[in-house]
Amino acid sequence: MGTIADRVATPGAGRIRSRLAAREARLGYLLLLPTVAVLVVFLAWPFLFGLWLSLTSAELQDPGRFIGLANYKFEFTVDRPFLQAFTNTFLYTGVTTVFKLGLGMVMALLLNQVFPLQRFVRAALLLPWIIPTVLSTLAWKWMFDPTFSVVNWLGVHLHLITYPGPNWFGNTGSALVALMIVNVWRGMPFYGISFLAGLQTIPTDLYEAARVDGASRWQQFIYITVPKLRPVLLVVLLLSTILTFADFQVPFILTNGAPFNSTHVLATWAYQWGVPGGAIGLGAAVSVVLFPLLAVLVAGTLLLLRRPE
Amino acid sequence: MPDSAGEFIDPERRLWVPWTRRKFLGAAGLTAAGLAAGPLLEACGGGGSSQSSSSPSSTKVPQPRSGASIRLLQWVHFVPAADTEFIRQCEEFGSKYGVKVAVERITADQLQTKTAAAVEASSGPDIIQMQYGWPHLYTSQCEDVTNEVNILTQKLGAVAQVNDSFSKVDGVYRAVPFTVVPNAWTYRTDYFQKAGLNAWPKTWDAFADAAGKLKAAGLPPISQSVGHAYGDSLTMWNPVLWSHGGKEVNSDGKSAAINSKETRAAIKWAQGAVKAGLVVHPEWLDPDNNQAYHADRISATLNGASIYLREKNEFHHFDKVTDNGVVPAGPKGLFTMNLIFNHAVMKYSPEKETAKALLLYLMDKDNYLKYTKIAGGYNAGPFAAFENDPVFFGPDADPKMKSFQQVVKPGKWPGWPAPPSKQTAQAQTQYIVADMFGKSLQNNGAGDAESAVKEAESRLKAIFERPA
Repeated sequence: MGTIADRVATPGAGRIRSRLAAREARLGYLLLLPTVAVLVVFLAWPFLFGLWLSLTSAELQDPGRFIGLANYKFEFTVDRPFLQAFTNTFLYTGVTTVFKLGLGMVMALLLNQVFPLQRFVRAALLLPWIIPTVLSTLAWKWMFDPTFSVVNWLGVHLHLITYPGPNWFGNTGSALVALMIVNVWRGMPFYGISFLAGLQTIPTDLYEAARVDGASRWQQFIYITVPKLRPVLLVVLLLSTILTFADFQVPFILTNGAPFNSTHVLATWAYQWGVPGGAIGLGAAVSVVLFPLLAVLVAGTLLLLRRPE
Repeated sequence: MPDSAGEFIDPERRLWVPWTRRKFLGAAGLTAAGLAAGPLLEACGGGGSSQSSSSPSSTKVPQPRSGASIRLLQWVHFVPAADTEFIRQCEEFGSKYGVKVAVERITADQLQTKTAAAVEASSGPDIIQMQYGWPHLYTSQCEDVTNEVNILTQKLGAVAQVNDSFSKVDGVYRAVPFTVVPNAWTYRTDYFQKAGLNAWPKTWDAFADAAGKLKAAGLPPISQSVGHAYGDSLTMWNPVLWSHGGKEVNSDGKSAAINSKETRAAIKWAQGAVKAGLVVHPEWLDPDNNQAYHADRISATLNGASIYLREKNEFHHFDKVTDNGVVPAGPKGLFTMNLIFNHAVMKYSPEKETAKALLLYLMDKDNYLKYTKIAGGYNAGPFAAFENDPVFFGPDADPKMKSFQQVVKPGKWPGWPAPPSKQTAQAQTQYIVADMFGKSLQNNGAGDAESAVKEAESRLKAIFERPA
């Protein structure tokens, strides 16, 4: 009885191997089909349809007609709340991403230490990300409520602020800050847990060697942790940026644009035109306006991921 | 162009309307069909003592189909017992005619999203409660119910002006008028007396004076939303604008008219009122002023009757020291705005006739009066026959509810004096008037009014003067 190696080495084995490989490739494509079908039906088609709608004068129950870039021109030259929403979206995404990144990293580094009830604490810190966004945002809405704000109540009783405290959603600045606080609270665990997973793949002997060489904690972090975390960091940043750019639930539930449209982001403004306003073409234009920018962002991140360390 | 053979006067709108051959034939056909409608009208609670037969045409009473299933979508009523009675009547209709009726209820702020989805998908509830001017937004999916409205006007008299304007699109009824939710001021009589005020102010100037006196006495303020509240904000700031002579758009519905000295006068009044002591909340949504009142944080607020009714029927904290007052008048008179609900039968419904029959059943005078009685005056009827509703005028009527009845007639709609349209509905859902006041009232009434007016004008132009 020959070994497998013997059998493979016999004449004709190459042909068999290539036939098997071809069959495997076909099977691979076959297995991919359901995923591709789902992506086409639920992602590509809606996106292309949205793109088409943005070039039309479509309204509810009226497919409209092709009007080229007129909707985009209208948004950038006439629709003032759109410009505010555009600015807010960048501000909202930029500020929250920086905080989520920083706090998520701190969270991951702390959770990577050994301490009592470690697993329980890890699970508990994931709660903001697990609770349905609508529920947690409604809870935050109550916490910032001008009449019954527990945040203000605490601040007043700890003598940090004077009664009655800030009217969080009543002023343009503080309303946007409140939105950012809720977004950071909710998004931080995603960063933390992803970084923690990345941290646990870094070999401990690298740190031991660094310590032997006299590297400080900071140096270990900069020269070992950050480079080793780079792939995770880039992917998390990319996903989080896209999700934050498109965030609808938190701004819609907390303020829905109030006060005076100062807290609209592109997602809520698109909804405003498309659903209550019935102008689907305009709503679609607002919602896909960021596509070119996000496409560049995704392409850039993927290129960075490919580049060797 | 219609094949015009003459003209007639539309009795509802008093406008000259072309009288076409098709309309003539339609009216003649309906007249013939109407001769046979007497017994069926009776079945709908009609028959007999019709108080008005001024309808422009005769009618054909829709017949419910035994075995049909109907879904009706509406808001969650602020007076829970009203929902219970509404559902009871639907079930009563169901058991009488062998129809399965399901009433779906969602919060009012979610209703439009679900409606838009149903309209776009051509699928969903058979009947949808249309708030404000939605029939103008969703016309293509709203079944023509002119015949049913004519049946009702024969029995119940003319349709209230605002319900009529919202329900009728290009001369065709796209919704059956259902109700008015009157908005009046609810206030604390004990606080007002402490501040030396013995009656609810009748003018906006007296109102600002009252706000000042409450503030000077260190009492909770008069407060109102100036934010994106679909009810409380619109019902406050539109009447303030109108009663000073201001308007969003000209009566042609095509050109923005907000940039005017009348608008500035309205803003000037509002800024003065805030400086005196009125507290406005740009962040408040519709439930917020209710909560603040029940929590003893404010002295007065503009709302539907739910604050008073819940104090009276449930909480009993301040019911003895709560009264209600009519919206104050401005230099140009008394203007009010109320929530308006009408029911549309959706075109995609496979059970349109049954749906129409259900709506007629719900609007039957006896049934409807049971509903308003249980709602305690939170609702007012949209037909002339309901103007003397016992809930407001009967021997057991609560005198404190009278203000809610008095604000119905002076009511107008967002975008007035332009007729309701897709554009007025868009301007309303973008809260342009409320935002203009809100910006002007920042920093304790010292906001930049000029820039607020110009921004409102720019936004209105973007809607009304946008090329189709």
